[in-house]
Amino acid sequence: MEIDVETLKRDWTGFTFDTAEFEVHAADLVGFAGACGEVAPRYTDPSDPDFQAVPNYTARYVGRRVLPDNFPRLGGGYGFDAGKCVTPLAPIRPGDKITARSQIHDVYTKTGRSGTMLFIVHRMEFSNQRGEPVSVVDWRMVQQDRGAR
Amino acid sequence: MSLSYDDVDFGAELPPTAPDVTLGNVRRFTAASGMTFGRFHDHEEARKEGLPGAIVPGIMSQGMLVALIHRWAPRAVVRKIDTIFRAPILVDSHPVARGVVTDKNDETRTIEIDLTIQNEAKETRVVGTATVELP
Repeated sequence: MEIDVETLKRDWTGFTFDTAEFEVHAADLVGFAGACGEVAPRYTDPSDPDFQAVPNYTARYVGRRVLPDNFPRLGGGYGFDAGKCVTPLAPIRPGDKITARSQIHDVYTKTGRSGTMLFIVHRMEFSNQRGEPVSVVDWRMVQQDRGAR
Repeated sequence: MSLSYDDVDFGAELPPTAPDVTLGNVRRFTAASGMTFGRFHDHEEARKEGLPGAIVPGIMSQGMLVALIHRWAPRAVVRKIDTIFRAPILVDSHPVARGVVTDKNDETRTIEIDLTIQNEAKETRVVGTATVELP
């Protein structure tokens, strides 16, 4: 199967295909931060007046769908999680109700020793109950593609 | 005393850390983050998937790098962190997290830090960069 990256970008990027809501709990913030070795009290101590989620906390969230309905099956190769980029925009605190909106932000290829890899960038934009943007997470999913051009 | 922007030189190395990736601690992380896949907290489940053992979730690796920054500069504000998961870190292994300052921006009082996590064989399993604001 030959995959046209430019067509994929044109047809599938830039629109919201999933919305999900999450409630933030203090115990989860403490557990996440502590397990990662965090020591700053504003991330580990709920009694700290500035207690909040660690900067990459929203990377834990997954929406109801990873890709839009009817997104093409690509090349028959295997897929894996290649990385995440997190941009924190405002503090996330216990009791916050977070809304995540997902879109395909980008599609591109890289060619290396193991062949051509197709990267799909799944972007989740998070806002709180006041509608304030709090975080953006770009999740790079990779497919080893046998026909990207 | 907390580190400030003016205290930091280009090329400065952050004190390395030895993150806790014991099974018990990874289970603490997966419980807090809702990551219920067996490959993260059960060696046998991971082996059934063809892995050598349970693996540390990528976002936990990323969190360990955030913690590295805060241990060095407790008042630092991470403005962006980007990590690439090159290869899994095994649960119950002994990784080391490192960082080095690669750029400074006097206007925004931010620095760029290159980040790595290596395993016992000195193989770099996770790489990343962070943009960090300092007081």
